[in-house]
Amino acid sequence: MDSAFRRPFQAYLLLLPGLVIYALFVLLPIVSTVRYSFYDWTGFSDPTYIGLDNYAELIRDPDVLKAIGNNLFFVIFYTIIPIVLGLFLASVMSRGRLKGMVIFRTGLFVPQVMSAVVVGIIWRWLFTLDGPINTLLQAVGIEPRAWLGDFVFAPYAVGAVGTWVEYGLCMVLFLAGVQNIDEELYDAARVMGANAWQQFRYVTLPGLRQQIVVAFVLTFIAALRVFDLVFVLTNGGPGKQTLVTSMLVYEETFERNRAGYGAAIAVMLAIIIVVVSAAVFRYQSRQDAEMV
Amino acid sequence: MMKKQLLMLFVVFALLAIPLLPTAAQDQVTLVVWDNYVRDAEQAMIETLHAQFEAAHPGVTIQRESYETSDLTTLLPRALSDAGGPDVAMINQGVANMGALVAANLLLPLNDYADQYDWWSRYGMGLHARNSVVADGSRIGSGDLYGVSNIAEVVAIFYHKDVFEELGLSIPTTFDEFEAMLPAIKEADYTPITFGNLDAWPGIHTYGAVLHSYSTPQQIDDVIFGNEGATFDFEGAHLSAAKFKEWIDAGYFSNGFEGMDNDVAAFGEFANKESAMWLAGSWNSGPIIASLGEEAVGFFLLPSAIGAETPYTIGGIGLGYGIRATSENPDLAAEYIDLMTSSDAAALLFENDYLPAVAVDPSVLTEGTLTADLVNAWNTISSGNAVGHYLDWTLPDAGARIQELAGGVVTPDEFVANMEADYMALP
Repeated sequence: MDSAFRRPFQAYLLLLPGLVIYALFVLLPIVSTVRYSFYDWTGFSDPTYIGLDNYAELIRDPDVLKAIGNNLFFVIFYTIIPIVLGLFLASVMSRGRLKGMVIFRTGLFVPQVMSAVVVGIIWRWLFTLDGPINTLLQAVGIEPRAWLGDFVFAPYAVGAVGTWVEYGLCMVLFLAGVQNIDEELYDAARVMGANAWQQFRYVTLPGLRQQIVVAFVLTFIAALRVFDLVFVLTNGGPGKQTLVTSMLVYEETFERNRAGYGAAIAVMLAIIIVVVSAAVFRYQSRQDAEMV
Repeated sequence: MMKKQLLMLFVVFALLAIPLLPTAAQDQVTLVVWDNYVRDAEQAMIETLHAQFEAAHPGVTIQRESYETSDLTTLLPRALSDAGGPDVAMINQGVANMGALVAANLLLPLNDYADQYDWWSRYGMGLHARNSVVADGSRIGSGDLYGVSNIAEVVAIFYHKDVFEELGLSIPTTFDEFEAMLPAIKEADYTPITFGNLDAWPGIHTYGAVLHSYSTPQQIDDVIFGNEGATFDFEGAHLSAAKFKEWIDAGYFSNGFEGMDNDVAAFGEFANKESAMWLAGSWNSGPIIASLGEEAVGFFLLPSAIGAETPYTIGGIGLGYGIRATSENPDLAAEYIDLMTSSDAAALLFENDYLPAVAVDPSVLTEGTLTADLVNAWNTISSGNAVGHYLDWTLPDAGARIQELAGGVVTPDEFVANMEADYMALP
């Protein structure tokens, strides 16, 4: 069993191909990006070292603040609503015995595996003035609206698409988690007279705590690094209402030829993601420790 | 015995390999070209010209790679830094594109070739200025020449001839006449002007055309070329922003324009004749002719709102052919550019519904066709020194700013103030 530990050389040799690819395509670009962030560099000119100037600029850049604000707004739609929706669907699906459950489950998961560009194009069409969404709303007496071009509603419209993409992941994670909850706990709860809500609140929810943390971290990262979906849906507009941080990285690096500044924004985004994820995992392990 | 057989085998293989050896004596040269001709309809046109070039230069092979303009613009800086990069490439104008490439010493100045081949007479010097960049790349409009273009573009008004006839309208000769048509068209239940601004760039064309109508060429040239004392805060900017907003509030643009995309929805609205006019770029003529024919739609310039004789509007020359600074075959590259921007090439472009930058011989025009209208519009502004600019060349946030104006989140005066602030903040 522990032969691998007795021959560490072979173990490392087996790891090597993966490690080389990881180093080449993940670690090296990260290190390079951090390095570029200290330079004034168009992406193809001779770079000039400028220390922390890029960072000094970005904390005063209203576009950066606006973009981070938009990303945090999208956390509601990418993370919080999908988790709530996922919990609801998972508890309904695991408790009840519906016909055609597999088809249902697969259908609900499809948005998660579709390419974001395809999702974007579909929803662009759904949101058009004479498109299905407005037609539906008109039937219940709501005036049609140019959702994606509306200064008030565009962020909600883009957010709603995010929810549609992310809830499938949460649902599948929670469905798997629910299977691991001991059926006896539900039996005991029922014997003690717990209704459906109480069973959910005191049995399902605590049982899914780990899955919720995983779902939170995954969808939180998705909300913060979203690019393709917004790029296709609104290109950041109207005005800068749906401008997100990764889009700003793209614009600064490739459209305005400020690769150094773009790298600094990317590093900042990475730091936010790492700090929040680490805090959440730490919180979870502390909770686990308390429970033991 | 064994050795002999091996030897024989070696000899046989060596003989077989002879045709594979590079024939250095014949001087094989590969000219690498990057362009933006990605559409199927364009392939035959480009290949015809390439076949001509290869026939005239034995031993030369053209290796072409085509990209969408936005991809081309993104990929070129890195490709031109590479020793195996394109010898000839189509370069997008502007400080952020051609300017940055010049600053990084990636492009060859073309002045000597322009003298040798007389490229200067291809079109007006005011247009060559757009392909000219100062040595440090910080400004366009003066300095050495880095590109030669083959295609022209004008932003003006496509209109349905039968809708105009039905409503008793004729092509307006003054701005007031134009404005007076709008309520009449709206009352007849047509959208007066198609406008789909979901992607922000169409606003640069539609608002931009109104801005140009209220401006002198000098005012916009100053802003775009960064001339001494240039400002966006001039009277025409305020008046045009107010007029644009007035037209939006009056419902003269497409209903729900802010959520309408250009290529499908806006084009569809105009092609289905739900609108009378479309303020858009001449490059839309291809799809219009394909769906409505040459005769149904005409094209006219938005008249000047400040009484200028020649209407001043957005226009320009397409991407310019440039040469990589480190190319090993610059002379051959120049010959290639000479062919691609020649009047022969222009005739071929014209046959394929393009508006060539080189003036088209009027004798080939058929009166009453959309193509003839396009050529006439281009000749008018080109010869009248009234070719304007796209604002995002120097103001990358212009599209977002115009959306703010159109959406009513800023007043016209605040819009001008924001644009001016963006302009003053430029490096």
